[in-house]
Amino acid sequence: MNEISAVRSELSAREEADATGLIRGLGWFGVTLGIAELAVPRLLASAIGVDRDGAAPAILRAMGVREIASSSAVLVRPDHPAPRWARVIGDAIDVGLLGLALATPGTGKRRLALALGVVAGVTALDVVAARRRGHARHPLPVIAAVTINKPPMEVYEFWRRLEQLPRFMNYLASVEQHADRRSRWTARLPVGGTVSWEAELVEDRPGQALSWRSVEGSQIDTRGRVTFTRPPGRDMTEVRVEMQLGMLGRSPSLELARLFARPQVKGDLRRLKQVLETGEVLRSDASVHRLPHPAQPSPARREIPPSRVFGENLPSAAKGVSP
Amino acid sequence: MKANLWMGKRKVSVEQVPDPRILNARDAIVRVTSTTICGSDLHLYNGFVPTMQRGDILGHEFMGEVVELGSAVKNLQVGDRVVVPFAIACGNCEQCQLGNFSVCENANPNAWLAEKMMGQPICGAFGYAHLTGGFAGGQAEYVRVPYADFGPLKVPSTLTDEQVLFLSDIFPTGYMGAEFCEINPRKVIAVWGAGPVGQFAIASARMLGAEKVIAIDRFAYRLDLAVKRAGATDAINYEEVTSVQEALMDLTAGRGPDACIDAVGLEAHGTGVEYAYDKVKQSMRIEFDRPIAVRDAIMACRNGGIVSIIGVYGGMVDKFPLGPMMNRGLTLRTGQCHVHRYMKPLLDRIERGEIDPTFVISHHMKLDDAPRGYDMFVHKRDNAMKIVLNT
Repeated sequence: MNEISAVRSELSAREEADATGLIRGLGWFGVTLGIAELAVPRLLASAIGVDRDGAAPAILRAMGVREIASSSAVLVRPDHPAPRWARVIGDAIDVGLLGLALATPGTGKRRLALALGVVAGVTALDVVAARRRGHARHPLPVIAAVTINKPPMEVYEFWRRLEQLPRFMNYLASVEQHADRRSRWTARLPVGGTVSWEAELVEDRPGQALSWRSVEGSQIDTRGRVTFTRPPGRDMTEVRVEMQLGMLGRSPSLELARLFARPQVKGDLRRLKQVLETGEVLRSDASVHRLPHPAQPSPARREIPPSRVFGENLPSAAKGVSP
Repeated sequence: MKANLWMGKRKVSVEQVPDPRILNARDAIVRVTSTTICGSDLHLYNGFVPTMQRGDILGHEFMGEVVELGSAVKNLQVGDRVVVPFAIACGNCEQCQLGNFSVCENANPNAWLAEKMMGQPICGAFGYAHLTGGFAGGQAEYVRVPYADFGPLKVPSTLTDEQVLFLSDIFPTGYMGAEFCEINPRKVIAVWGAGPVGQFAIASARMLGAEKVIAIDRFAYRLDLAVKRAGATDAINYEEVTSVQEALMDLTAGRGPDACIDAVGLEAHGTGVEYAYDKVKQSMRIEFDRPIAVRDAIMACRNGGIVSIIGVYGGMVDKFPLGPMMNRGLTLRTGQCHVHRYMKPLLDRIERGEIDPTFVISHHMKLDDAPRGYDMFVHKRDNAMKIVLNT
C-alpha cells in the first residue's frame, strides 16, 4: 500500500461519516421542530409573523405531524433514501405554505421572509442528504473472528491481494482485482452455477481495516468490513469480519444473518489461519469428500477437485506475501 | 492395502482399501512396520465415542518407514525410520509454540464439530473418530501422516521397534500423568488402572523419584506386572478390599496419597451401587462417561494434593465430587498427551537404559489378527496387556 491510497481511504471514510452525521442531524432537527409545532403552535405562529388566532395553529399542528413522521423514519432507516426524499417533499409543502402566507395581507412580511429563508436552507441540506449514500445507524454485525499467529500487517497484506481470497473462502471461484479500487467477484452457488458481482473498496487502512461493498446495480448487494487488531502483549492479529449479506435481503435480522453466515465465515477464517500459519489448508481422508465418508483413503476421482480445497502448492504462504 | 476397519460396535474387520496418497504438501506416507491396540481403541470398539463411521481405519500408535514425501517436507527422507505421535499438530500456531500440541489450533478439519461438542476445538488424531478430523489410522499397511515435517521422530537403528513404538502414545501419556504430580521423593503417588498407560505412569513416577507408588486395579496379573516390572511399591485389588479409600488411608497412615493419577477413563469398572448407577445411565446414553476412578481419586487425594487425569473422557459426567475437591483445595491437571513435547526426551531415556518400555508387551500378532486381538484385549483373555501388531 502506498501513502496516496491510505490518504484516499481516510478521506472517503470521513466523507461517509459526514453524510451519516448530516442525515441524523436533519432527522433530529425535524423531530424537534415537529414537536414544537404540535405543542406550541400559537407561539410559533407569532414567531413567523402569522395570525395566532386564525387557521394557522391548526395548519402548524398538521405540519408537525408530517415533520415527525418523515424525520423519525429518517432516524430509523438512515441507510434508506426514501424517508430522506419524503423530507424533501415535506420541505416543498412548507415552502409553498409560507409563500401563501407571504401573499396574504396582514402578515408580518419580515418574519415570514426570515422563516422562508430558514426553510429553504433546510431544504437544500435535505436534498444534499437525500442524494448521499447513507449508512445503517448501527455498525455491521461481527459475523466471526479468529486470532492468527502473524503480525497485523502481514495478515492485512494477504487479504488486500483480493485474488487470493478464494484460497480460504471456498465458495468463491475467483476474484479479479481491477486497476482501480474495483474488483469482480465470482461465487459458486450451492445449487450449481455461479454468480458474479462488482465490488469496490471503500476503506483501505494498511494493517488495520478493509471495507468493501458491491457497486450499485450488482446482482448481489453486499457490504463488509474486516479489521485487523493486535491483542495485548502478543505479535498476533485478531481478525474480525463484519458483514451484511445481500442474499438474505437488504437488512436481515442480526440473528438470521449470524445463523447462516457465521458457520461459513468462521470456516473461512479457520482456513485463512491455516494458510497463513502452516502454509496450507489441511485435508483429511474424510474431509476431502463433500458428503460423510469413512476415514480411509479413496480412489482419486471421488474426491473434491483440488480447485475447491486449496491445500496444495502454497509453500510461500507461510512466509507471508509481499504486496 | 490391508487395514483394520471399525465396522460398528464390537466389530472390526481387516479389509482391502485404497492406498493412501499425499493430500498436502507437508504430508508423508509411512509404511507401517509395527502398530498396537490401545486401551482407548477399546472405547471406540465398545461404541462409546461419538462420530465414528463404519469403515474408519483404526489405530493411533504406529511406526514405520517413510516411503513418500510431500513437496514441503525437507527434514525427512524416503527410507527414514520414524515413530509418529498420535496427535496431529502443526507446530506453527500459538498453542504449539506454547508446547500444548494436543490442542493445536490448525490440525482438525472438523474443528467446527469439536467446537460444538467440547466448546473449543481439539487437535486432529489418527484413527480416532471424526471429532478429531477424520484421519485414517495406523492399523494398516500404509498411513498418510500430515505435518510430517513437524511430528514424526526419527529413531536410531540400534533400537528395536518394540523399544520405541510406545513413544507414539502410551509412554508419553503415562509420563505426562506422572509429571503433572510434581513428584519429589517424599510424595506418595496412587495410580488407578494398571493397564499399559497405568504401567508407564507408575514407571515414570518411579523414574521421577517417587519412593512410594500404589497401583490400583482388579486384575491380579496387571498388579503383578506393576509391582514386578513397573516398580509399584504397593498394590490394591479393589475387588478384594472393602474400600479402596480405607486401604489407601491405611497405606498412608491417614494422609491420603499426595497425588492421584486416573489412568482408567470413561469405562471404569467398580463395585456396588455406584457402579450399577453409572452403568445404567451410560447404557441409556444419559451419561457419557463412567467417572468412577476419578471420583475415587478425588475422594482419596490428600488435602491440597494433585489429581492427574490421563484416562480418556468424552463428555458429561454425573455425581462429580466438586465440593470435596473445592473444599480440600485439590488441583486437577489433565489433557490428551502433548506427545511431541516428550518423544525426544523419553527416547533419550530409553537410549540411556533408564527404562525398557517392552515390559508391557504381552502378545505379538499379525495385522490380519487384529479382530482377535481386540476381542482378547477387551475381555482381558490370556492376561492380555499390550498387543503389538506387525504387518
